[in-house]
Amino acid sequence: MANPIIQIKDVRKRFGHVEALRGVSLDIEEGEVVVIVGPSGSGKSTLLRCINRLEEYEKGSIIVDGMLLDNNQNINAVRREVGMVFQSFNLFAHLTVMQNLMLAQNIVRKRSKQEAEKVSRELLVKVGIPEKAKSYPSQLSGGQQQRVAIARALAMNPKVMLFDEPTSALDPEMIKEVLDVMASLAGEGMTMLVVSHEMGFARAAANRVIFMDEGQIIEQATPDEFFTNPTQERTRLFLSKILHL
Amino acid sequence: MDKQLKDNPNRELSFVTGGEVNIRQDPWWWLVAVVIAVVALLVMLQPVPFKEIVVFARDGILITILVTVTSYFLMLVLGLFGGLGRLSKNKLVFGISTLYVEIIRGIPLLVQLIAWYFASPVLIQKIGLWLNFTPLITYRANPIITAIVAITVCYGAYMSEIVRSGIQSIPKGQMEAARSLGMSHLQAMRHVVLPQAFRVILPPMGNEFIALLKDSSLVSVVAVADLTRRGREFMSAHFNPIETWLMVALLYLILTLVAARVVSYIEKRSRYDR
Repeated sequence: MANPIIQIKDVRKRFGHVEALRGVSLDIEEGEVVVIVGPSGSGKSTLLRCINRLEEYEKGSIIVDGMLLDNNQNINAVRREVGMVFQSFNLFAHLTVMQNLMLAQNIVRKRSKQEAEKVSRELLVKVGIPEKAKSYPSQLSGGQQQRVAIARALAMNPKVMLFDEPTSALDPEMIKEVLDVMASLAGEGMTMLVVSHEMGFARAAANRVIFMDEGQIIEQATPDEFFTNPTQERTRLFLSKILHL
Repeated sequence: MDKQLKDNPNRELSFVTGGEVNIRQDPWWWLVAVVIAVVALLVMLQPVPFKEIVVFARDGILITILVTVTSYFLMLVLGLFGGLGRLSKNKLVFGISTLYVEIIRGIPLLVQLIAWYFASPVLIQKIGLWLNFTPLITYRANPIITAIVAITVCYGAYMSEIVRSGIQSIPKGQMEAARSLGMSHLQAMRHVVLPQAFRVILPPMGNEFIALLKDSSLVSVVAVADLTRRGREFMSAHFNPIETWLMVALLYLILTLVAARVVSYIEKRSRYDR
């Protein structure tokens, strides 16, 4: 088997006095879907943001697709290969849906206008909202915005997709439409790293579930094992809190 | 968000169609019309001295517009760089732009104008003597250019702060999303952050234009024959301060009121729902 597409070694990161990551090591294989869970402040989002260097880490190393995140050239190259979906969507508010999808294709991937538009249309069909191409983000529901954000990231043909609590800002009735898109993406073999509390999604689509607490990986297992037979006391405590709700 | 759409469908539409703005939608054009009518009446009913004043001050009006428009666009450029500098992580760039803003903001424009006009030529001549460089030794200040430089430098400092606050008002997520797509900092600024910041700072930008238009009257003290200076010349020749300054004030009012309407029009055109 080839090298893991993401290799994280002993990454440490602090915000002032708070240690957000205390030596995290993790390998992600190509095609794997990994869901990271944990209480808030456990460092799961920080870990995700370190992978495309939106957050700098002090110690350790992260290699993505064979590229070490250490200089600006590599960081930009890695960002081209790693798509990211945010909790708050972060669609470009001044651009239409179509323009949101085309912008980075034009100026980063250097695609022609026709090609970028073709890619964008296909992706909008894929996420189920081709009719919204000319709308502005503010005219869409939260679920629609998040699906556009996924399409925008996919337009760059990333090898890895990072999801940072993609459904946490959504009204309950819109969560499913986003999870459906993510599940179909997982089914196509996309490598995905998902920070989420959607246990249904974790059970259905994940190959591996990771539990983080206080900046460390406490436990990792297949979804079945993780939910039915957690080995660590802290995992059990966490699961008992969220599964009852 | 959908609710907002239903409540106010016209706002959506106005952005999509570019926003029709006419006298019916912007009733304040009537005020412009009234002031113009007052000026026209005065000129027609009492040509002496009102018509004489307008004819005499014609070139002054043009100079006022020239100085205002030129320094406005130059100070926008300076303010853009100043604002970006105020947000720079580079300590030198940040330091220089902060020093510029803090010092210039703290000195009255009138003092700056006088310093540029009377002090800077002497300084340049002294530097010329020291370097033994003839073009500098024989340097003479051109009043209009000096006035434009002074206003640009002064207003650029205020504009820097407007640009800075405009950029800071754009959520950090916009920059992060752009960077996560592989854009460089510069590309993200240019294509994502600045276009949105521009819409935020349009109202204060319009204010700056009107303030600058009025402050341009200060250039009359440094030998620029603008509207104010021409008014003073007319008054000292004809000894009729009431009529002269009534007419000068009305002419300024027309300029500022028209500018305010144009600003409001541009704002409406570039509005979009967030």
